[in-house]
Amino acid sequence: MYDVIIIGSGPAGLSAAVYAARAGLRFAVIEKEYMGTGQIAYTERVDNYLGYYGTDGFSLGEKFREHAEMLGTEFIECEVTGLSAFSGGWRIETSDGDIIKSKTVIYAAGAAPKKLGIPGEAEFAGRGVSYCALCDGEFFREKNIAVIGGGDTALSDALYLAKMAEKVYVVHRRDSFRANNSLTEKVSECKNVEFVLNAVPVEITGDEAVTGLKVKQNGAERAIEADGIFAAVGSVPNTAILKEIAELDENGYVIADERCITSANGLFAAGDVRTKEVRQVITAAADGANAVVSAEKYLNKYI
Amino acid sequence: MPAKISTAEFDNEVLASDLPVLADFYSDSCIPCKRMSPILSKLENEYENKVKLVKINTNFEKELVERYNILAAPTLILFDKGQEVSRLRGAVKKDDITALIDQIL
Repeated sequence: MYDVIIIGSGPAGLSAAVYAARAGLRFAVIEKEYMGTGQIAYTERVDNYLGYYGTDGFSLGEKFREHAEMLGTEFIECEVTGLSAFSGGWRIETSDGDIIKSKTVIYAAGAAPKKLGIPGEAEFAGRGVSYCALCDGEFFREKNIAVIGGGDTALSDALYLAKMAEKVYVVHRRDSFRANNSLTEKVSECKNVEFVLNAVPVEITGDEAVTGLKVKQNGAERAIEADGIFAAVGSVPNTAILKEIAELDENGYVIADERCITSANGLFAAGDVRTKEVRQVITAAADGANAVVSAEKYLNKYI
Repeated sequence: MPAKISTAEFDNEVLASDLPVLADFYSDSCIPCKRMSPILSKLENEYENKVKLVKINTNFEKELVERYNILAAPTLILFDKGQEVSRLRGAVKKDDITALIDQIL
């Protein structure tokens, strides 16, 4: 029986591992991605994590992992398929068919890119529809691309893709962007970028591969010719298995304050899965620390 | 680790191979590709003398990218007797790959 099982190996989970190791707890990290470090790995540049100006997300994630490994963290490679409470703690069912028991669980499973939910999206996934500009941008060199979204991810994708594409359309449902101003300014300076505002995507069209995107702009339908569609419309927390277990808010985030204590005894939520204002690497790492301290107090019957 | 091959080597190494070949079309800037690499090394050991694994850098081998209409990285294509038999797009689990390989062995 473990003291703590940490589910997820992003910054929150790895930070929790460091704190759990130093607290002398019997613990392990369950991860579905082999040698994972979470979503941070997919960020081209990180400029706001203290002490690491101008690093890339992949290297930063590797540093986090190295730190957790150095302290002897046990990693279990599988997906959690079920979670239930029993009198002595939690039963964790895994995709390998194993059952792992632990007195407490720190749930740090992170978030995944949100789908557009329009016709053609699933059909053309990997054939012009992408959720990773860094991965697939190169295949659309000198072609037309539509980026969908208005946040930091969408605008930094647009900036990256504008370097190689013939033309980049940024399709956003509002009349202004949520992304930070300096980024938006940089994108608007690119000559081959066109903003398509007040426009809601309705369908991705194509034959063998994507050929275009239909949008509804100010109520009128408009067809955009594009070979690549890059979706960056935010993320959804990976909390489906907690639905019957802990209180979630209307967007699926686990309700917990900075102590990471959820409505379920002995279950703690850390990182992007938790209700919070700022979802960044540094707040995820902070959650990992808080969650372990809360778990320790719970184990010692202080809460 | 699977050997990296060029467009010039492709016909000989892949299409003319006696063994089935799993070709990994990856790109330099692609993190999911990096994540897949230990899995592919494992598969190479597990299927030694049964399946050949090769990798192709899509940043340089543009001709192959065109020929096989690659639009996502990683793309894994399984070839048998010079023919494409199946294709996986994006990062996938080890089991997804072994399922396809086991179908043709």
